[in-house]
Order: sequence, then structure tokens, then C-alpha cells
Amino acid sequence: MADVELRALTKEFPGGVRALDTLDLTVADGEFFALLGPSGCGKTTLLRTIAGLEAPTSGQVRIGDRDVTGLVPGARDVAMVFQDYALFPHMTVLDNIAYPLKIKRQSRPERSGRARGVGANLGLAALMDRRPAALSGGQQQRVALARAVACHPSVFLFDEPLSNLDARLRLEARTFLKRLQRELAVTTIFVTHDQAEALALADRIAVMEAGRIRQVGTPREVFGRPANTFVANFIGSTPMNLLPGVVSGGGVAVAGGTLTPSTITPPTAPGERVIVGVRPEYVSLSTTPVDGALTGEVSIIEHLGAVSLVTVEADGALIGATVPEDREPVPGSRVWLSPAPGRVLIYRESDGELVT
Amino acid sequence: MRSTARAVALRVLAYVGLGVGTALFALPLLWLLSTPFDAAPRYAVRPPSEFTLGNFGEIGRNPYAVSSLVNSVVLALGTMVVVVVAAALAAYALSRVRLPGRDALLYALLLLSSVITGTAAMVPIFLLIFQLNLIDTRAGVILVLSGGLLPAAIFLLKDFIDTIPRSYEESARVFGASPLQILRHIVAPVARPGLATIAVWTMVQVWGSFLTPFILLRDPTKQPAAVVVRTLYTEGGSPNLALISSFSLLYSVPVVLMYLFAWGRYGFRFHGGIKS
Repeated sequence: MADVELRALTKEFPGGVRALDTLDLTVADGEFFALLGPSGCGKTTLLRTIAGLEAPTSGQVRIGDRDVTGLVPGARDVAMVFQDYALFPHMTVLDNIAYPLKIKRQSRPERSGRARGVGANLGLAALMDRRPAALSGGQQQRVALARAVACHPSVFLFDEPLSNLDARLRLEARTFLKRLQRELAVTTIFVTHDQAEALALADRIAVMEAGRIRQVGTPREVFGRPANTFVANFIGSTPMNLLPGVVSGGGVAVAGGTLTPSTITPPTAPGERVIVGVRPEYVSLSTTPVDGALTGEVSIIEHLGAVSLVTVEADGALIGATVPEDREPVPGSRVWLSPAPGRVLIYRESDGELVT
Repeated sequence: MRSTARAVALRVLAYVGLGVGTALFALPLLWLLSTPFDAAPRYAVRPPSEFTLGNFGEIGRNPYAVSSLVNSVVLALGTMVVVVVAAALAAYALSRVRLPGRDALLYALLLLSSVITGTAAMVPIFLLIFQLNLIDTRAGVILVLSGGLLPAAIFLLKDFIDTIPRSYEESARVFGASPLQILRHIVAPVARPGLATIAVWTMVQVWGSFLTPFILLRDPTKQPAAVVVRTLYTEGGSPNLALISSFSLLYSVPVVLMYLFAWGRYGFRFHGGIKS
């Protein structure tokens, strides 16, 4: 049990690539924490630096109240699950799970007893004598988890633990992982590029871009109030509408219409260029004229199951809105779009940061 | 009709040709299998006129035959240990550490290795071993043979170790394993098929090598079987067929056994880390 604290952590690879850029972050004790970002954003490097597999160029890693920056991985009291699971192919499931205990010089009966106990908890009791090659992807993943659980670390580090599973199995494994973490209450940091996975699993999420953290928050905060256009773009299974607009007389001129102060708090000085962000889920669509709404023509309808994503062309801008599956408008027809009150976000165009 | 007849004739001709070719290559092998058991050994390939095991007694009566087989085993095992240990360490390092010009180095070594144990380098090698005071020692032979075999062994093993995912080692490191433990528990067992292949290949190469031990070993009691086999004559100066045939059979058995062992166990395939 321990918190993890990173202070001004920087990692520069030979050749001048900055994978981590003076990064500060605190993960609380027992928290399920996600590092989320597109590939190449430095999230895996960050995880490997916490594990001790990469040495930071400068800065500090603290686990609990210890400074572990200079310690070898084995002395940090962490357990890591790799993307390919890294199960040792020449050992049985039992020997794999018991391997960390072997390193800790536990006696053979003691370690195989504990490995069997952990394995049984994770539903592996019948597979103990198999080799990893004889297991399915989901079983291999559970063996890798069991091996991490068996060594009772104070921090778990998971590197894309679900990305090697097929889509349906991934949902099952996701629920399993969350329950396991709740039961054990061990501080867990996991890396993912899948925003849905991060939203579903994590207590808090850090969204990363180019070695920096762009936002840290609960899934609700990150989804509902992205701190900048990068996060707004990255989070959400349907992309957020990000429309260029200009502040004018108590409203914002956008997509051929004006959003009035009833739906937004007008920001800063008139004439400033902004980006208006609103999720398709928070845009209501009407086939009859509505006061203060934006209007346009339906161009594309995409079926997403219970809802459909309607793309409307309004004065050159494309705006998405979701409607229930039985209320789809006719393509080519004129519709009126009004964002839900309090759900419209205004970003400065210059740096993409949230204004209100 | 005529074309079918032609096809049949062609086919018959092909089979006859293949049969003759096979017989040509089979004859020496058949001779090797039958002559040692013939009471009156001759150059002819024929079933033993009178079956005997007496020819193998000749080996015991020759002053150098038995010791030469022992010498061959010593040289083969010695070279195998040097090559496997050195090649494993070098290949592991070359696979895991990024060195500028690493591939160029490997290819240069591979190219030079065919020169080193070849005839071209024999004089300098002889002088080198002479200055090291290793003439007429098994250590000298083992060192020269190892030097010749190492580049190819490193090359093969590096390719093999490249296929072992680094995450195995990193995973063990996070669990607190020391470098030596990682080598013993993870890398060596996973690389075992590769190491075994190199070991068998090395022993077979040494077993058949003639020139290097012939030049570097003066004392006939230290010479290996491949060198001694050329001295198996009667006092009259004619080849001692009884001795040559039985000795040759004994000499080839270990190579066949090693081949069968490696083939049965690993099928001469390389396989590394799993990717499912």
C-alpha cells in the first residue's frame, strides 16, 4: 500500500527525443489510475520509468515515502504486467505464478501453496500444470495477473493489459480487472490508448500528449469538461463537435448562427476567436424551427446501436448530434440543433485551453 | 499411342538414372556397413563371406586407434564448451545492446571465419600457436577450431536470441531477479534449442576436421581419429582393410547418433518466444 509521486520527471532518449517533459503527478494510495494517450505520447515510457526499467534523465520517483529513483526494479516493491504478458514459456502456470516467490527465497511448499491459492482465486485451478502456449489469450492474461498478485507488491503497473484480447473478451476482462483491484485495494497504474477502457476502469485519468499531461481528473470530469481541445478530441466514442466561432455582443457567432447567453456564459472580449465544443450526446435535434438554434441540412446518418449519429452541415461546418434510433431525420432535410444548457464549452483558439 | 510409349520410356530412363545415382552414393556406405564384419575384407562391396567381430579386435591391437577416438571426443567436447559459452555470451550481448556497426561486424567475422581455419591462414596460425607455446597441445587445437567456428555460431545464436522477447527478462527484473538469475532461470532455458543446435553442430565440425589437428599435433598419441585413420597400414605398406573399415564404422557412429538426437529433439528448427 503506497502512493506514487512523480516530481519534475524528464526522460530524454539519445537522439534528443523527449518522451517525458518535466512531469508532476501524484497517484493516491489504493487508486486505480489510468495513463491515457495516443501512441508515442510517452505513457509507456512513464510506466517503465516508475518500474525502474528506464532511468529518468532528471526528476524523482517516490513510492510510499521512499525515493526510489536510483533503485533497481526489484527493490521498488512493484509488480508489472506486460502487454505480451511475458509468461515464461518453459515453465508451467504454477511455476510462472510462483516465480516471484522463488526470487524472494520462499521454500518450495510455501510458494507453491500460495501460487495455488492465488491461481484458484483467479479461476486457474484446473490449468496449473499447463504451459503458457497451451492457454487462451484470456487465460494467459489471468496468469500474468496472478503472478503480479502473488508477489504482494505495493503498486501494480499494467501496460495495456487488455489490448491483446479480442473485443468481447476485453469487456469481460475489464470487469474482472476492476473487481480484482477493488478487492485487493492496491495502488494500480495502467496504460491504455483506449479512452473507453480508461473511462470504464479508472478512478482518475491522466491524458497525455507528447510527454506532457494535458489533464488529470475523474472520468466524469475528463469526459464532461475536457481542459483543452486535445482532450476534448481524444475522449468520447463519438468525436466532440469543435466549431470555430467569434465572440460577439453577448453571444458567440458559430456555424451561421449565434449561441445566446441562455446556453453559454459569454467569455472575454467581443471579437475574440474561440472554439465551441459540445458533445453530440448533448445536442438536441428538432425537425421544426426552434428559437436560438443552429440550422442546417442532414448529410449523413450513422447507426451506433440504440442511438444514431446524425451529421448536419450548417454553413460549411459539420455538427454531430445523436438521436434515438427511431427518431432519425430524413437525409437532406432541414433540422434545428440546440445544445443542452450548461454543456457548451468555450476554448480559446490561440492555445486550445478551456475558457468556460 | 506413340506419345504414351515415349512417356513410359522416358520415365523408365529417369528411374534407371536415379537408381544408378543412388547406388553410386550408397556403395561406400554399404561397404562401410558390411566390410567390418567380413573375415576376409576386400575393396568389393558384398555381404560378409564369413561373419566375424574379430576386425574390431584389430583396433585394440593398434597403438593409436583407441586413444585417437578418445582424443576426438576430448577435442569435440572441449571446442563445444568454448564455442557454446563464448557464442552464447557474445550473441546475447550483440542481440541486446545497440552497437553502431553491429551488423557489419557480424558479417565481417562470418566472412573471415572461412579464411581462418582454411588452408590460406595455416602458416600464420602455426606461427601464432608456436609463439604461444601451444604446438602439440590439445588446448592449441581447441582454441584454433573455436576461433574458426565462433563467428558462424554467434551469427546463428544472435538470430535466435533476437526472437526471444525482452519482456521476459524485464518481467523477471521487476520481480527482483539478479542478472545471473535471469540468465539461469529465463534466458538459458528459453534459448536451449538454439544452444543445443550449436553444440551438436560444433561437435560434428570438430569430429570431421583434419587439417588443423594434423598440423598442430606432432605426437601420434594426441592425434584425433580423423588424423590417425590415414596411418592405418600394415607393416607391408598396404592398407589394413580390417582395421580401416571397423575403425571407420566406429568413427562415424557418434556423428549419426548426434544427428539423430538433435533431429529427434529439435528437428533442426529454431523456435524462440511464443506469440499467440
